[in-house]
Amino acid sequence: MAKLDQFENMYDVGSKPPMLRNLIRHYLPAANHPRDLNTSCFELPKLVSVLQTHRLLSESDSHSVDPKLINAWKSAVDDWLGCLLSLLSSDMSDKCWVGICLLGVTCQECSNQRFLTSYSVWLDNLLSHIQPPSDSQLVKIASCTSLSDLLTRLARFFEVKKDANSLAGKLIQPVLKLLNEDNVEAVWEGAASLLYTLITFFPASIHHSYDKVEAAIASKILSGKFSTITLKKLGYCLALLPKSKGDKDSWSLMMQKILISINDHLNEAFQGVEEEAKYDEARRLLVTPGKDLPSPLGGHTSLEGGSYNRTSSERLPTATISTLMFCCCKMLTSSYPVQVSAPVRSILALVERLLRVDGSLPPTMLPFMTSLQRELMCSELPVLHAYSLELLIAVIKGMRRQLLPHSAYVVRVVTRYFKICALPELRIKLYSVIRMLLLSMGVGMAIYLAPDVIDNAFSDLNSPAGEDFEISPANTGPALLQPSNRKRKHGTKTGSMEKQGASPKVGESNTHQTTPITVKIAAVDSLELLLTVGAASKSDSWRSSIDSLLLRTAINSCKRGWGNVENNVFLPHEPASVWADFQLSSLRALLASFLAPARVRPPYLSQGLELFRRGKQEAGTTLAQFCGYALFSLEVLIHPRALPLDDFHPAYHNPTDGASNRFPENTYSGSQKQNSLFLSAAQRTEEGAIKSHDDDLYNKWLENENNAFKDMRDTSRPNDSSLANVLEVSEQEPAAANADLHMRGEDEIVVQPRRLEEPIPKSQEIVSANADTSRPAVGTNLEGGQIESKKVLSASDRLNDIDHDMLSGVDKANFDTVGRKTSSTLPNVEKGSSSMTHLESESSMDSFPNIVDADPDTDSDSD
Amino acid sequence: MNVVIASSSIDGGIGCWDLQTGAEQLRYKTCASPPHGLASIGCCFLACSQLRDPSATSGHVLYWSWSKPQAQVKSFPAEPIKPLAANSEGSYIVGGGSSGDIYFWEVASGRLLKKWHAHYRAVTCLVFSEDDSVLISGSEDGCVRVWSLFMIFDNVRQQQASHLYEYSFTEHTLRITDIVMGYGGWNAIIVSASEDRTCKVWSLSRGRLLRNVVFPSIIDAIAIDPGEHVFYAGSRDGKIYIAALNAESPPSNNYGLHIIGSLTDQSKPVTCLAYSAEGNLLLSGSEDGMVRVWDVKTKNIIRMFRHSKGPVNNILIVRLPYPFTRTESKVQASSRRHESLRPPLEKYANSSDEDMDNKAIIALPDTIDLPSYLSSQLINDHVKQLQQQGSSAAAEMEVKRLKLDGQRSMEMFQQLKKVYDNLQEFCVNELLDGQAMEGSKGN
Repeated sequence: MAKLDQFENMYDVGSKPPMLRNLIRHYLPAANHPRDLNTSCFELPKLVSVLQTHRLLSESDSHSVDPKLINAWKSAVDDWLGCLLSLLSSDMSDKCWVGICLLGVTCQECSNQRFLTSYSVWLDNLLSHIQPPSDSQLVKIASCTSLSDLLTRLARFFEVKKDANSLAGKLIQPVLKLLNEDNVEAVWEGAASLLYTLITFFPASIHHSYDKVEAAIASKILSGKFSTITLKKLGYCLALLPKSKGDKDSWSLMMQKILISINDHLNEAFQGVEEEAKYDEARRLLVTPGKDLPSPLGGHTSLEGGSYNRTSSERLPTATISTLMFCCCKMLTSSYPVQVSAPVRSILALVERLLRVDGSLPPTMLPFMTSLQRELMCSELPVLHAYSLELLIAVIKGMRRQLLPHSAYVVRVVTRYFKICALPELRIKLYSVIRMLLLSMGVGMAIYLAPDVIDNAFSDLNSPAGEDFEISPANTGPALLQPSNRKRKHGTKTGSMEKQGASPKVGESNTHQTTPITVKIAAVDSLELLLTVGAASKSDSWRSSIDSLLLRTAINSCKRGWGNVENNVFLPHEPASVWADFQLSSLRALLASFLAPARVRPPYLSQGLELFRRGKQEAGTTLAQFCGYALFSLEVLIHPRALPLDDFHPAYHNPTDGASNRFPENTYSGSQKQNSLFLSAAQRTEEGAIKSHDDDLYNKWLENENNAFKDMRDTSRPNDSSLANVLEVSEQEPAAANADLHMRGEDEIVVQPRRLEEPIPKSQEIVSANADTSRPAVGTNLEGGQIESKKVLSASDRLNDIDHDMLSGVDKANFDTVGRKTSSTLPNVEKGSSSMTHLESESSMDSFPNIVDADPDTDSDSD
Repeated sequence: MNVVIASSSIDGGIGCWDLQTGAEQLRYKTCASPPHGLASIGCCFLACSQLRDPSATSGHVLYWSWSKPQAQVKSFPAEPIKPLAANSEGSYIVGGGSSGDIYFWEVASGRLLKKWHAHYRAVTCLVFSEDDSVLISGSEDGCVRVWSLFMIFDNVRQQQASHLYEYSFTEHTLRITDIVMGYGGWNAIIVSASEDRTCKVWSLSRGRLLRNVVFPSIIDAIAIDPGEHVFYAGSRDGKIYIAALNAESPPSNNYGLHIIGSLTDQSKPVTCLAYSAEGNLLLSGSEDGMVRVWDVKTKNIIRMFRHSKGPVNNILIVRLPYPFTRTESKVQASSRRHESLRPPLEKYANSSDEDMDNKAIIALPDTIDLPSYLSSQLINDHVKQLQQQGSSAAAEMEVKRLKLDGQRSMEMFQQLKKVYDNLQEFCVNELLDGQAMEGSKGN
């Protein structure tokens, strides 16, 4: 033991057993010793983090197989578990609680072997704490959570599946008891999380008590008296419940029951604000005439729920309705083992029905509600609308392409609601519905939605408040939402004071309704998606106005500097991050407007590029990352290329990899190979196959530069020798070639960064430069500086019988050029081996295009 | 694994080969397909319309599952169906009838969702766009029409619009033989081939003809290079012509404007083409019953599959989701279960069954439940709760503890009391025994 206590550092496995023992000594309260609650359990989080960081319970380490060490560790973990179990059996609830919590952590952390040998003991132990004798709620909650962790771990072992299922079955009754008989909300939450684990990992275990579970959950939801979080957890369990049967019918039945229940609640709630006919219509869709009504949700409990609602008819049963709608969402978006038949039309009808109710009284009806009731309803309605939109999103997600037959209906619902929707949160949701539709349904949907999206985005982005709100201080009205408001103040100080004169609406801006930044973000995002999905389709009418709107938005968002997420630590909800989001969104939309297909060159390209360049300088932000990406993707717009696919392969594979390995081989293969390859390649092209695989831009370059080059050649001087010349020299006078010359050749990798900025696609350069070297007669000499690319181009122009289609051959030839060069240097290299090593190391680091790529600039420098 | 699927107009079954290794897989039996009649439905199964003798009044569509050679499901649509197409998800099948009607079925229920009169003569080919929202059809009358499926399903807009289609291209003078669509959503190009010996390139976004390529012979099949550099046109003279899209075409050559070369094997007429982006291979089916695999770069044939004596008229390249082994019982079992759920295609739109209209059979998205452990989070939460002593839970626990403490104190008190009593008794006795003294108070 003493030996084991001596360990090297914190990574040493030997340190772990003593560390664990130490933890037991210091942090675990002894079962029989009364100890102050404060000191023992407030340090638990620290204990857990040490356990997890050092993996103290894992009992295995890839580096060490020392049996002594393993034994020591094993006994330490044994002690740990012994300690936990004694805590579990303590009659002090705080100790018990500590033991239960730590057992949960142990389930997660311990080794597979230990888990498999002892999980049933642990399960029994934990189980006893959710059963009647136990009365502390913290203990019950902790037991539920630990049991859930235990089951989660257990689900990963397929070999004990059967045993695990029967064990899980034992849990159902106690959990139901907790749900039915306990009266503390927090305990239900714990029970719900355990139930969720059971349904997810051991669906078969629920099978027998399906109806009871449904009834228990439904009664809680229908009573509607609890916090949203608890209800959501319970609702999620209800949504997943059909998985335990796993057949088509139970899913449909559950969905039908939930929808009927929602409709019943709505009928009651909306009495007086909608026509009676609505009720029948909804009912008709849900229940086929002639078929039996399914039993109400949760069996008899539905009636009780109904009576509950009646007694408190002052209130809208929002919590119940929204939880049930949440159930529907989850049912539509969670996986299910078989295909199901979803009542799409009823769900959509429900959504439409809810979105239609805005608290106004239908003209045909007599006032039925008291004004108090109406006020209450109006205050709750936004929540219901939000959930309906969520449900719509879930339908789109769940149905995917199969929404097609219903898409027209969905579009009509959405566009109609767009016209009346005024609350920021709802508008944001509505925009996300739009985005979902565009994404999942593609261009056909874009044609339909475009007019509405554009109208709404225009009004949101272009609202007078939106414009002025960035530049005029008079706008700082109380009507503004806090985030944008505060931010704006910051902005005014910095740089926009001088601009307020430019705004004609300074005085009246207070009277306009403002659009919160978050809504603007949603609007900009939707425009971006519209552009990416549907810009090509019949967009002429709106394209130019959208482009200019997006540019204006981007400029406005960026003109006061960049939103920094870490601006102010003292304000927890500093609007800067919202602002940064807005900037990012507007720049993204701007990029989309540049890249989206159009007949003309993007009119605001230069301004946009300027914005992106500025943004890129903000190193370390997401914005800079995006701007970098934007600049990168716009490069293609500026230098369009349509490269043939089949040439891609060899050009990509041949160069860099393993150049050093192939080096010697090429040294001796000599130049014949190159020539023969070249010839064959040339012949193949001459046979009249595909002519010119390069893009238009390249040809245009050629046309333009042809004449210029001829003039230039006359004025060129011999001492501006390019590498092409160097190579020729070395080939013609191998004996005279010296290592020095070749070292110079290698120096040309210095040029590489510049090459990247040349506007010519790389492969063509390789081809042309190489073609140059293959013709000893060329002897091109050029003045340095910018002419290099022209020279390369024109060289290849003169050789245009050699087609780029034979890139593969050319690449080989390229390579052989290097080889040939080296072979010619060999005699000298033997004299000066240092230069050879230099040569080799350089060429292995760098691809040969750099070697071949002639750059007169550096060459003349070294001269 | 990528497999090549080929069928013929003469019953030779449906051949299936591994593209990589060339090994032949299962051969699906009894199939005589018209051109464009073979479709893979979302890579889940194969569907093929069948050639019928001219007197037949109903169509014939067969389904095969990947694992069984016999046709699993037989459907008999209201009229002979030639071209078939499915969307990428495999949720819908469209078929083109000989009367010019297009039928739109839902695969999961077999219901005929829509039927509309698309052309004056028989429909010859049907193509879905990349995002499945647009359908392109070609007909014997030489007309190519572009349909937005949203329009097809939107009764309200249909009434406002003068026609159902988005575009109707009428420049071809004879039967359309093949249509392919390029990349890029609504910005894509469409290439159509016709018996009038031309191929025409259309812009979807502008709705007009971009290029007209006249070939030496009738083109029956086209395939487009994924980079849209060129397209390949299989002709009745046995050559596969290479025609320029983005590529520069030389001003003069042997074949005609925009034609920049050919692949040739002195074979019989080329009837169908398919392009495999993986390895840039072009597959061609010929009337001699062979499927040739070309390397488009070297223009050499790298492999040949012998399908049948009769002409091959459909080739598909399908990526199978799972390894194709006949022994894999698990996969078979699950796929068999799916098959039993897959009903045949209905003959007529059945509007009386309103209940089904309201519903859609959907496969819910596949999500994975990742294991998540809650204990450590729970500890943090509870400790926080305990630290705020105000929480009822903490108070309750404290009460419990105090109760126990109290109980323990009680016991201790009892003990002490007992000791005291003993002591007092002892003292009293002592005092009584000894001399009498002034008694002190015990309490």
